[in-house]
Amino acid sequence: MVESHLIVQPAGNLMPGRRVRLYGLLGLGVLLVLIIALAASIGSVAIPLTTTFSILADKLPFVDISPTWTNAMATVILEIRLPRVILAGLVGIALAIAGATYQGLFRNPLADPYLIGVAQGASLGAIIGFLLPAAWQVPGFGLIPLLAFTGALLSTATVYLLARVGKTLPVTTLILAGVALGALLGSVVSYLIISSGDKMHGIIFWLMGSFSLSQWSEVRIVLPYVAVGTAVILIFARIINVMQLDEEQAQQLGVNVERIKLILLAAATLITAASVSFVGTIGFVGIIIPHAVRLIWGADYRFLLPLSVLTGAIFMILTDLLARTVLSPAEIPIGVITAICGAPFFLYLLRRRKKAIF
Amino acid sequence: MVELKIIKATLGYNHSPVLREIDLEVFPGELVGLIGPNGCGKSTVIKALSHVINLISGRITVGGQDITSIPRRKLACLVGVVPQLPLLPSTFTAFEIVLMGRNPHLGLFQSEGPRDRSLAYEAMEKTATVSLANRHVNELSGGEIQSLLIARVLVQETQAILLDEPTANLDIGRQIDILDLMRRLCTENKITALAALHDLNLASQYCDRLVLINKGRVHAEGVPSEVITNANVKEVYGAENCVYTHPVNGLPTILVSPRRAKSNKD
Repeated sequence: MVESHLIVQPAGNLMPGRRVRLYGLLGLGVLLVLIIALAASIGSVAIPLTTTFSILADKLPFVDISPTWTNAMATVILEIRLPRVILAGLVGIALAIAGATYQGLFRNPLADPYLIGVAQGASLGAIIGFLLPAAWQVPGFGLIPLLAFTGALLSTATVYLLARVGKTLPVTTLILAGVALGALLGSVVSYLIISSGDKMHGIIFWLMGSFSLSQWSEVRIVLPYVAVGTAVILIFARIINVMQLDEEQAQQLGVNVERIKLILLAAATLITAASVSFVGTIGFVGIIIPHAVRLIWGADYRFLLPLSVLTGAIFMILTDLLARTVLSPAEIPIGVITAICGAPFFLYLLRRRKKAIF
Repeated sequence: MVELKIIKATLGYNHSPVLREIDLEVFPGELVGLIGPNGCGKSTVIKALSHVINLISGRITVGGQDITSIPRRKLACLVGVVPQLPLLPSTFTAFEIVLMGRNPHLGLFQSEGPRDRSLAYEAMEKTATVSLANRHVNELSGGEIQSLLIARVLVQETQAILLDEPTANLDIGRQIDILDLMRRLCTENKITALAALHDLNLASQYCDRLVLINKGRVHAEGVPSEVITNANVKEVYGAENCVYTHPVNGLPTILVSPRRAKSNKD
């Protein structure tokens, strides 16, 4: 045992970058809180950042601040802006971690949360919702999210059934089945869009994503999916590392590959479906955030996943802030902003780091 | 200690058999060499013994227990594999790859601790790979990766080790280092080892027993002098009169010379 104590020391130095990643997590956590407050304070009625902080802090348990703000201010922050900010954060988390998970499962850097039919299924469901007679619309949050969610799950389930070979689910078949079914549904979506007449504008806006109708009721529905799905994926982070070898080696190292594929696919698909059902098929976040995190902090999934969660939330809240303020009072579809802001930053990272990233 | 048994098993992929009704046993403390021409099914045996492929018929037992009834994680604590030059994810460092050998010993909520890291370090010392620890695996040569994979299987602390061409990419010095190490593990730790080998000389020098596979069945089996004979080598590999006796230890040794064209001979 004396001997093994001696060699613990050098072994401790064999994992460089661990501290950098821990600082990254801490820094991003603090940044996320600041960004939430910042996004809540900016809008058509400007509310000072300090006041926003006080209003938010007052809502925390065991914190009691004597109000220096009007009730109207509190309503704007807590009932109008905060649900939108929180929903944006949740969707950012969902897309980023689902993207990272798909990339890890498929060992493919081009994988994104929409690879196996979620987006096309959701789009088709939503468009059917748009085209249904107005009388059918259910009060509350409406028929569209429900149909989009159903569409997303149905199309992913179809891809899954098509891709199965015996008792196994080869990832290549899964990707190909996803791409093929996606193309099929995509063409139906395109046809429905051009024949949708005066509803076309609304449909296209939905497809490009928007948080403009966010309310607490939507946060309450999306939150459990994102929380449970994210927790499940984070638990398997070390196993996802081992699965980066290949399926055969992972099995020989004790990983029940088929079972874990199923669990992770289900978790990533559910959180993606829950998110896109409410805010539309926001592109780019799911593929780029995990890669940006990889470029900065490396590919160990135990750090990649939580860092992607925080980065995804921050990125989505900031892009939504831009979407609603740049052309205020008009709103830009969020899908436009994510690519305009995200792509140059990502290309910068890509050029700066020449090492293999995937 | 664990013994591996293949009992009247037909092995193959998608129901097309590569090996038909073969029997094979490997006992603790034994280093058994699996030899045979390209494509004869050496890797298939290793895949079946690590339950990466299912049997078409027959059965395999590990320590007396049917392999299909052993959960994957438990099996990976009993049987470790050194695969033949697999693709490794380029973004991981050599140390991280070796540390992955601890996976079967860790629960879902556990992470590698100091003991796991020091085991990995020791294994890298034994395989002379410590200097590679912080390098990304895409920067390493085939031989260096081979040595890392052997370090990884040591870290796995299994009682049986299956090696698929462990010396294929190594220079002669490393070939001897690695096989010496395996030999020592068998003798001292009573490890059960099965190695698919191309090099008949290494197989002859290092293995207690050899199993020669050809055309889907076991062609010959026994100590090296029973298996590496002129008759067997001619029948299986089509190479004539190339078996000699090692001048120092008397084990069969292959010395090749070009096939003489028939017209010259006549």
